[in-house]
Formats: sequence, structure tokens, C-alpha cells
Amino acid sequence: MTISIKARIAVTTALVGSVAAGAAAADTMKIGITQNNVGVDSYQTTYEKAFIAAAQANPDIEAVVLDAGGDVARQIAQVEDLIQQQVDAIIIWPTNGEAVVPAVRKAHSAGIPVIVTNSNIAEQGFEFAASFSGPDNITQGARAAEIMCEKFTEMGIETEAQIVQISGQPGYTTAIERAKGFEDRLPEVCPDVTLVETQPGDWNREKSQKVMEAFLVKYDDIDGVYAGDDNMGVGALNAAKAAGRDGIIFVGATNFSVGYEAMERGEYWGSIYQSPVDDAEAALKTALDVLSGAEVPFLNYFDTPKITQENMDQFDKPVF
Amino acid sequence: MAEMTKRDVGQFLARQGILVAFVIFIIGFTLANQRFLAVDNVLGVIRSSAILGVMALGVTFVVISGNLDLSVGSMMSFSTIVVLDLHDKIGPSLAIPAMFAMTMCLGALIGFLVGYLKLNSLIVTLGMLSAIHGLTLTYSGGKNMDIADKEGTWFSLFGQGSALGIPVPILMFALLAALLSLLLAKTAFGRKVYAVGGNGVAATFSGIRRARVVFLTYVISSFCVACAGLLQASRSMGSQNTVGQGLELEVLAAVILGGASLLGGSGTVFKTVIGVLILGFIQNGLLLVGLEFYVQYVVTWVIIILAVWLDIAANRGRLWSPIA
Repeated sequence: MTISIKARIAVTTALVGSVAAGAAAADTMKIGITQNNVGVDSYQTTYEKAFIAAAQANPDIEAVVLDAGGDVARQIAQVEDLIQQQVDAIIIWPTNGEAVVPAVRKAHSAGIPVIVTNSNIAEQGFEFAASFSGPDNITQGARAAEIMCEKFTEMGIETEAQIVQISGQPGYTTAIERAKGFEDRLPEVCPDVTLVETQPGDWNREKSQKVMEAFLVKYDDIDGVYAGDDNMGVGALNAAKAAGRDGIIFVGATNFSVGYEAMERGEYWGSIYQSPVDDAEAALKTALDVLSGAEVPFLNYFDTPKITQENMDQFDKPVF
Repeated sequence: MAEMTKRDVGQFLARQGILVAFVIFIIGFTLANQRFLAVDNVLGVIRSSAILGVMALGVTFVVISGNLDLSVGSMMSFSTIVVLDLHDKIGPSLAIPAMFAMTMCLGALIGFLVGYLKLNSLIVTLGMLSAIHGLTLTYSGGKNMDIADKEGTWFSLFGQGSALGIPVPILMFALLAALLSLLLAKTAFGRKVYAVGGNGVAATFSGIRRARVVFLTYVISSFCVACAGLLQASRSMGSQNTVGQGLELEVLAAVILGGASLLGGSGTVFKTVIGVLILGFIQNGLLLVGLEFYVQYVVTWVIIILAVWLDIAANRGRLWSPIA
């Protein structure tokens, strides 16, 4: 009963729409998004706000905004829901790059293009996704290596410096890529800098502080710390400050407001500027481009520039 | 004569099996890296364990009374976020008592549900784990909380200060451990906690107001959580919403490592402290040894199982159970 009423209303609306606005009604696109875990950090919170704002600013878009709460099973169910709702495109922020592949394939076989946002899905899912929109974590890691190397060269210690790395959550693609980008680029630009040890800080400031405390005990000479994001970088900075070890160069791979503030205080050297607003808008734009049939590269990166104490006045303080 | 000595050793082990295990780990890690026992490292480990430790002290009461508390991790995130937020709004001297009051209200609510309404503590606190997480996110809007002016406040005293060369978190942990140990071992209330956990029905017939005792154990637990939140907030002067996520299991592991029975009725504050230190030193030791980190999770598990096994083996005086 309910279903038929709904169906009739839909038909009527469609008719009215086509009569009143002609071709415009057909252009209204229903875009569904299932996000990873909104609220767990400010990046994801800001991303969601920016996404909703961008969708609302465009009258041709009807957005269905969902959040998987970090739960793979829930995200798969959400994709299935969106397929049922016959949305025009699905944007997914994978909770787990491997586990969501079957859901992406299902959407693909239902004829719905899937745009992966922020963190990519596993490679075996690439053929089912229309495009990936997000930051290039390998480039971020590589640029962080360049920042570190440029600073060491300026200080004249590029032939002897020893550094440690605090990486993100083990098994998380972003963590692996930011580490790989850094580890591959560093020997190219500064072949004599040694990365003595890498341990995970799990994206967690407190955990990174503990890890850094152990590093400080273990190594008498640490010239630089590379962290997968500024939250962890600032955790490491806190440990160094508490231990009274000055002169360490801290570089992160994503600039957070805590990192930005530490840069203002001159305690933290640099990072990579990644805006969740750019991220969200790029995802929506990619979806629109895919739907309009435009040529979209499969890996559709948005730019994430270097930020250091020297050029930070060109950037607004991150909101997260 | 020889048998007497053997029995003496056995009895010592039976009482202090976990302590023996602890000493074995310390020796092992020291052999692997001499820096392990350096004063700054030891103080560093105890200081970072203090936060987990303070929470474990409170949970010890809950576990001895025969219940569980899985909400302490999210509750700690809650207190940390609240105190950081209020610090900039009403100043530290008001923010701290306000945060304690709010956190202990949560503890009182859990205590009411488990104690007076007799709801299963696993279900109540598992539910509270998510509910309080949601509350924290609602409160903060998902944003990281940071104290704006980190230099111009005395708030950093609790997490970063030190007196007589000993970091304040360690002093607080020690002081709380001493107080709660006295409360548990030397007062009528403490004996009631054991009685309620050992045999609730018998305790009721002996005239112990069981609901009230259970209620109070949760209030004590939330008080400890508030202290942990204060230490955490003051240590990093800023925090993510998920700072305490997962800590409930580490806390429980420390309490159980210390030999408290999940069925209630046994455990001591001192042994919980040892449990906390074992966990802290394992984490630190593995870092210093520089083991590949994927392996660390497995090794941590192996060490915990070894410790528990040593403790149980010491208790029954032999390695294998006589009953298959």
C-alpha cells in the first residue's frame, strides 16, 4: 500500500517536473555517499560538512549522506541500500580497502558508477570503480621527505643526519603509502640520511608520545622525526620537549591545527597541507564529471602542497 | 627439611607468582637492551602507565565485587575532552571539579543500573561504552580539543610537572594506589566488596547492602577515570575524541594479570599495580628491542598468557592442572 502510494507520488512529481522544467528535471542527480567514520576526527567531520554544503549549493544534486561508523559490515549494507534506492552514483570512503570490494562490484554490476574518496580500495576492485578522488599519499610522503632533506641541507647535516619514523595504523593503506612515499624518496634526495627505525603511532597522539619516549631512550642522536600525520608528530614533539631534547626537525604528512600551531611556535618544521574541504569538493566534482560523461582519470588526485615555517602564512590554519 | 623449603618456596610463589613473572620479564628485556632499566626510561614507562594504572585501580574494585566495567575507555575520553573544553571557558580551577562531577554522574548512573536495578554489568557497561562515546562526540562536535594558551596556565602541572624529581602522574598513581589499597584491605567497606563478589547471596543474608556496595564501586571507578582524564588532558594539553578508545580492554587485562578473578571475590590493589607495570614494560621493552611491529601484537599476547599461566601454576603448585 505504502509502496504504491510512494510510487504514484514519484510518478506525479516526475510528470510535473518534466512539464514544468522540461529537461532540467532529468538533470537532477541523486548521489549517495557512505563515509568511513564521521566524528572520529575533525578531518572527517569537516569533510562531511563541506560535502553537504557543496551538494546543497548545487540545485541539480540530491545527496544521500551516510556514515558507516568505521564498521565494514554497516558500510556494505549502506552500499546495498543505495543500490536499492537507485542513486545515480555512489561515493565511498572505504572503511577497509579490501572488504568493500564486493559491495563496489555489486554497485558496478547494477550500473551505478562508484567513486572512491580519500583512501583507495584494494587493487582488485579498481575495475569496478569509476574513479578515485583523493590525496596522493605517496606524493605526500615523498614531499615530506623533500621538506626534511631541504631543511637538513640548509642546516648542513644532510650527510650524517639520523631520523626515526612514526607511521599510522598498521594495515591501513594511507599509513602504508605515506611511509612508502617517504622511504622511497628520501634516499633519492638525501642518500646519506639514515632512517634508523619505524614504529606505528596508530594515528594517536598519546601512543606516538610513548613511542617517541622509547626512541629517545634508545637513540642518543635523533636529528629528525617523520610522522604520518601532525597529530602523531606533535605527540613525538611533546616527548622530545619533556625529555629536553632540542634541535630535532619534525615533519608530518598531513597538517593539523596542532601542527600548524607548533609551527607558529617554531617547534615543528613542516608538513603537507591537505584540506578536507578540497577533498570533499573534489569527490563531488569527480562524481559529477563521471555522470556527465567527461574524461576522468582513474586516479583523480587533488593537490596537497608543502607547508613549512617559511611559507605557512600563505595557508589558513587547518580546521581539524 | 628439604621438603619444608620446597613448600616455603611454593607458598611464596603461590602468593607472588605474578611478581616472579614480572621480575623475569624485566631481566629478559634488560639483557636485550641495557637502556631498559635506565632511570629516565623506567620513570617514563611508569609515567605513561600511570593513566592506565589509575583507571585499573578503580576497575579492581568493580571486578572484585563481581562485575565488569567496559565503559572506562570512553569515559576517559569524555573526561579528557570535557576538562580541556572547560579549561578555556571557565578556567582550570573550575573546570577540574566540574569534570569530576560530570564523570562521577556517569559512574553513579552505571552504579544505579547495575547495583539497584540489578542489570547485567557486561551489558550495561558495553552499552555505556558506545553511549558515552556518542556523548563525547556530541559534546565536541567531533573536533579535537586543544587548550589555546598552552604556556600561560598551570594546568600542565598534573601531566608534565614533577616533585622531588618524580613526575606528578607517578605520585598521583602511587597516592591513589595507597589510599585505595587501604580502603580495600583495611576498612569494613573493603571487606564488603570482597563479600559481595565472593558470594552475593551470603553477603545479603549477612546484612550487607549489596546494591549500595556495587553502586559505590562504580562511583570509585568513575572517580579514578576522572583522575586519568585529568592526567591525560594535562599531559598532552589537547586530545582526540578517541583518546581512551580500547583502553577498557587493557585496563581489564592489567586487573586480571594482577590476579583478580573475573568471577569476583579476589584481587588486590597491589597486584593490579604489578599488572599495570607488566603491560607498560612489555610495550616499552618491545619498542626498545625494536621488534617488527606486526610481531609485537603476537608477542604481547604470548607474554600475557605466560604471566597468567605462571600465576595460576604458582597458585596450584604445579605447571599442569591435576584434573584433565
